[in-house]
Amino acid sequence: MWNMLPQTPTRYRTTLQTPVVVFGTAWCAASQMVRRYLDRLGIPYVYRDMEYDRDAARRVQWWTGGYFSHPIVQVGGDILVEPTLDELQWTLANNGLY
Amino acid sequence: MRLNPSERLQELEEKFNSLEARLPDSPEKEALSVLHAMFHEERRTRIASGNGASSNGNGKMTLDQVANLYKTAPKMEGAAENTGLAVGTPAPDFTLPDANNQPVSLRDFRGKNVVLVFYPLDWSPACSDQLSLYQSELDAFKKYDAQLIGISVDSIYSHGAWAAVRGITFPLLSDFHPKGWIAELYNVMRRADGFSERALYVIDREGIIRYAHVSPQLHHVPDIYELFRQLEALAQPAPVEGR
Repeated sequence: MWNMLPQTPTRYRTTLQTPVVVFGTAWCAASQMVRRYLDRLGIPYVYRDMEYDRDAARRVQWWTGGYFSHPIVQVGGDILVEPTLDELQWTLANNGLY
Repeated sequence: MRLNPSERLQELEEKFNSLEARLPDSPEKEALSVLHAMFHEERRTRIASGNGASSNGNGKMTLDQVANLYKTAPKMEGAAENTGLAVGTPAPDFTLPDANNQPVSLRDFRGKNVVLVFYPLDWSPACSDQLSLYQSELDAFKKYDAQLIGISVDSIYSHGAWAAVRGITFPLLSDFHPKGWIAELYNVMRRADGFSERALYVIDREGIIRYAHVSPQLHHVPDIYELFRQLEALAQPAPVEGR
């Protein structure tokens, strides 16, 4: 498996100015709750609607073992599956965003 | 360059994501996906235990655990069976008891905008999140001079307990007896199920329905951004004819 990886070190790190991404659906109350929470805090985020964004849905499946869980909040390297607002707050703080 | 733990995790995540497209669909790929999910669940558990978000230790559920029972409750799904009332028509007046058995009438709120929230049942999936979402937005509704009113076929006692556990402070009215007759009046009663559709009505200061939404699926919660757009439109002065 390891020999499938590139032999030379590769920097995958991007320079995202907004390392917060919400994967959700318009009709999911928990997705709306998370988005509005970030709105109120004034934390910029990218919203990806899993019903219209096939890549977003595929990404979520890759992260979750095949499920279309929502919402999922990506904060840097943290992938929060259906987080509570307490969990989200902790993670934002841990990433220096809260 | 030395990365801190958060940056290192982000880098690893990006590497993990970039590898996905290179792997053919296979049990091995699925196993990697499952392992990734397990890693983040484990991380989440550690965060929760570090924050003391566990049971109270005496074998009884905490209030938070009771509030979250809906997450493991039987699903509530089904296509809408009713279309609701038309926009532009007067909202039918009614009087129903709140959780304290005090009568509440729609006409009590004449002069304010009203957001009438019909929801299927207390304690059920989606309803729990929907009303908590609205509770967290009370300041926004206040800005739009809008009064929230929840209505379901539950008893006043269920409403009282549910509101207490979830911290809901706006009125929850009991359409309990005759069961669902206000839902019938608003054309959102699911007779075979014995509870209402999930539906929203925005009623203006003169008592006219300005927005109506019946969720196409029971578990679909109306888009709050759309609701706010409707309330924002109500806040705008009406266009003057002839200009």
